[in-house]
Amino acid sequence: MSSLFDILSVMILLSSFVLMANKRIKSYIKTFRIQSLLIAIVAGILGIQLIINEGRVDVLIVCIIIVLLKVIYIPNLLRRTYLGVEHRVEKDFIWNIPILVLICCGLVVFIYFSITAIEGISEDISTIQLVNSVSVVLIGLFFMISRKKAIGLIIGFLELENGIFVTAMFATDGMPFIVDLGIFIDMLTAVMIMGVMVFRISDKFDTINIDELNKLKG
Amino acid sequence: MSLLLLIIPLIAVLLFIFIKKDYLLHAVSISALGLQVLLAAFLTKDVVVFGKVESAFFYLDSLSIIILDIVLLISFFVAVYSIQYLKEDLRPGALDLKKVKLYYILMHLFIFTMVLALVVKNMGIMWIAIEATTLASVFLVGFDNDKFSLEAAWKYIIICSVGIAIAMLGIILLHLSSIGLLENSGFLDWVALMENAESLKSASVRLAFIFILVGFGTKAGLAPMHTWLPDAHSQAPSPISALLSGVLLNSAMYGIIRMTAIVNKSLGSSIYAGRLLMALGILSIVTAAFFILTQRDLKRLLAYSSIEHMGIVAVAIGFFTPLSIYGGLLHMINHSFTKSMLFLSSGTLIQKYGTKNIAKIKGVIRLLPFSGIAFLLGLFAIAGMPPFSIFASEFGILISVFEEGSYFIGGALAILFAIIFAGIGVAMFRIFYGKGEEKDIEPGENNIPGAVVIIILLVIIAITGLFMPETILDLVYDAQSVISGI
Amino acid sequence: MTYIIYIIVQIMIMLLLAPLINGIIKKIKAFTQKRTGPPILQMYYDLFKLIRKNSVVSEASSWIYKAAPYIVFSTSLTAALLVPVTIKLVPSFNISGDFVIFVSILALGRFFMMAAGLDTGSTFGGMGSSREAMISSLAEPSILVCLFTAGLIAGSTSLDQMMMFMQAKGQGIILMNPAIILLFLALLTIIIMETARIPIDDPSTHLELTMVHEAMILEYSGRHLALMEYGAAIKQLIFITLLVNLLLPHDQFIGAAGLGGILISLLIYFLKVIVITVVIALIEINTVKLRLFSIPNLAALSFILSFLAFLQYFLLGGGYVQLI
Repeated sequence: MSSLFDILSVMILLSSFVLMANKRIKSYIKTFRIQSLLIAIVAGILGIQLIINEGRVDVLIVCIIIVLLKVIYIPNLLRRTYLGVEHRVEKDFIWNIPILVLICCGLVVFIYFSITAIEGISEDISTIQLVNSVSVVLIGLFFMISRKKAIGLIIGFLELENGIFVTAMFATDGMPFIVDLGIFIDMLTAVMIMGVMVFRISDKFDTINIDELNKLKG
Repeated sequence: MSLLLLIIPLIAVLLFIFIKKDYLLHAVSISALGLQVLLAAFLTKDVVVFGKVESAFFYLDSLSIIILDIVLLISFFVAVYSIQYLKEDLRPGALDLKKVKLYYILMHLFIFTMVLALVVKNMGIMWIAIEATTLASVFLVGFDNDKFSLEAAWKYIIICSVGIAIAMLGIILLHLSSIGLLENSGFLDWVALMENAESLKSASVRLAFIFILVGFGTKAGLAPMHTWLPDAHSQAPSPISALLSGVLLNSAMYGIIRMTAIVNKSLGSSIYAGRLLMALGILSIVTAAFFILTQRDLKRLLAYSSIEHMGIVAVAIGFFTPLSIYGGLLHMINHSFTKSMLFLSSGTLIQKYGTKNIAKIKGVIRLLPFSGIAFLLGLFAIAGMPPFSIFASEFGILISVFEEGSYFIGGALAILFAIIFAGIGVAMFRIFYGKGEEKDIEPGENNIPGAVVIIILLVIIAITGLFMPETILDLVYDAQSVISGI
Repeated sequence: MTYIIYIIVQIMIMLLLAPLINGIIKKIKAFTQKRTGPPILQMYYDLFKLIRKNSVVSEASSWIYKAAPYIVFSTSLTAALLVPVTIKLVPSFNISGDFVIFVSILALGRFFMMAAGLDTGSTFGGMGSSREAMISSLAEPSILVCLFTAGLIAGSTSLDQMMMFMQAKGQGIILMNPAIILLFLALLTIIIMETARIPIDDPSTHLELTMVHEAMILEYSGRHLALMEYGAAIKQLIFITLLVNLLLPHDQFIGAAGLGGILISLLIYFLKVIVITVVIALIEINTVKLRLFSIPNLAALSFILSFLAFLQYFLLGGGYVQLI
């Protein structure tokens, strides 16, 4: 089973690279959907395993919630948001895409060295899964830095959240159920609030370019 | 009892939704918070007598009860202040009931999430609550709904959500470190973690601490993750700024303190966590000192001062000697009262003058005899002048640092305090002296209950600076021993 | 003597199979567009026809122009010798092909193709050459990293040894290894970049703005053109062979040795090539041509894929075998 998880972790990492290389909001959403689906598969396999081995149902419920929330609801919410704000393609990055992607590669290397430097970490969990999932977190963060449109930032945040979630899955077989639920509620609220904020920003500033949000200084 | 504490604000929120009259809104808000303060008083008595109040889900010891009391007391004062503030603020347009409603709903949700963060036993749920504080307060920050407040709110939600998400990674690693050690029900349970701290896997705990420090540190306004704080504090309505600064920062700091206790016990020494905390703390103080010196905006000045004081608390916790923790906790209490008083009185000032620019606020004492004087005395207090309480705790922390033999850090802190004192002093004299165009502004207090609240807070900080009640000192001492395990 | 047999077998298969790939792809594309399309063997007819014709040589051109078709064709064939179509051939013939040599031989051919494009002095030729130079300089690092990673996994730098290792360890579940999956995707991307397929270059168009490969050989005619096209087709088959033999191992299913074993293994090889061809055709159908300035993105992607494969290999602690 562990090698299956290895592959899924690589796929999730790959999806975050694909996300980084995208520049259309539509494909952001599509890639995010695929990434979430992969995470749902991880949760599903883990859930079934846990039901068989320990009789724990919670991870399977979590899997269902992921499908409903991250694969179906949030992408649709984002799609509505992006249809509402007259903005389709990301044009101005801090650097061009190949360089961004190469930097992400560097991030993975960095994570690899930092995680393998910690003594005793590989006793607990598969290093490959940990490195890949923590890299997704960092790439999500970098995605937020590299994008200048508000929707891009939301996607980056969601990717980061995905990375953290999948880290939890790989590292600890999921958090305690109530914590998982709370995370979902928080995340959903956060995304909804951010969506509303995007509309308001688009209203007040006539753009969703966050570079325009530079009035407050010092 | 803790459950009741959580149910009251939710009931209040439900009531707000259905109430149609604004005086009823105010009444419900005040009575809900009054009830909560009463409950907190009972809980405090329980904690003083029994040492802790524990159930399956909730856990209150002297550390959390101290911060809980601060949260509820200040929230109560803020609620009282808000009544007239909202009326004033909404005077230009028609008094929009919908907005008042939204304000109260979000404020009570905000208080609810902070209380939740303090009373739960489970670190995971504490994380959820702290994340929820951001979500509840983001529209409060953007309450004015103009370009500036929108920008502040956007920065606030993005930076804090990301920060808190990183803290989640830390929580996961903490969870990882305890797998195989704790029972299913004890996962992420602070008490259980603390009991078994020595046998946690130290590699994961170390990593977890970094992530949690960065995450909750973002929320606590430690540099270099502080960038949301001045914007949010300056753009939010003043009562909300008082809540953010006086209460929210403490809740986040509370998370860091809990984690530090585990890490230090687990690693057997305070060096690892201490160095990180001290580095961030001193960086925060330096950043704040720099920006305070050049600040032109009244509320941003106060916001940077909050960063400074959170930095001081971080340094104090970082040293992790009984005396420094003791000083740090006292400092949290004192800072909360002083800073919320300052924000409330600055709210009155800003409403009076219609500007946040320090250079344009003149002749305060004539126009606002109570709030104005309170504000200036408050500035004295926050800068660290005796006889106010901030001085006492700052001095205590400095002594503890010197006692540890860290002359370099102690000296640096002393110099920074002096710089900040000078910075705030300059701002103060700008407001004190000089005559501006004050002809078209009517003298006199508009917000009478607000002024009363401000005076009460002023009296509190003045008295506690000279004489802290024995009970509180004992409680703080207890909290100190909870953290340090001594 | 054994070498000669090997060379004959290898070259015959390559020569015979290579034009078929293009035929299949064209047929599939035509099928999805509801056309009849050219017959599958069309390219054979074309080559046969072209070879019998004289070629027109521009007066302004130098010897490079005339030499290039032969060099391109022969480098393709030489490279083909380093990539055995089935490893059943390898033990009996004791061949060895280093991947660095493999890459540089192909680079030599490409160099002459670009030089010839420039040589005639026509605008299209120069444009095609400069584009080709850009694409190849982007693709080369990923090929090298990709093959290097495969070599690291197999513990050898020679292509046939890598194939031997993969086929021996494969056990049919080789795709369960994350490094291999990434390598597979990387190599697939490289094939598309190297063989002038659609997201990079449109092989079926002579629209001046988009063509790359076609622009370079625009001046050629007759025999020369045939050699150029043939060389390109062989190169395409070489990469496909590399992909299927390295990363889709099959030989563990065949116990038989000797001639029968070789024949069965050739048959399976043939089937795998067809499968990959269909995959390439499907990719080509489902994508649109990238803008020239977006090509670096694709190149970066293939580089990332191979680099990640490299990293995953390290993450497993060099434990290719342990994982299985």
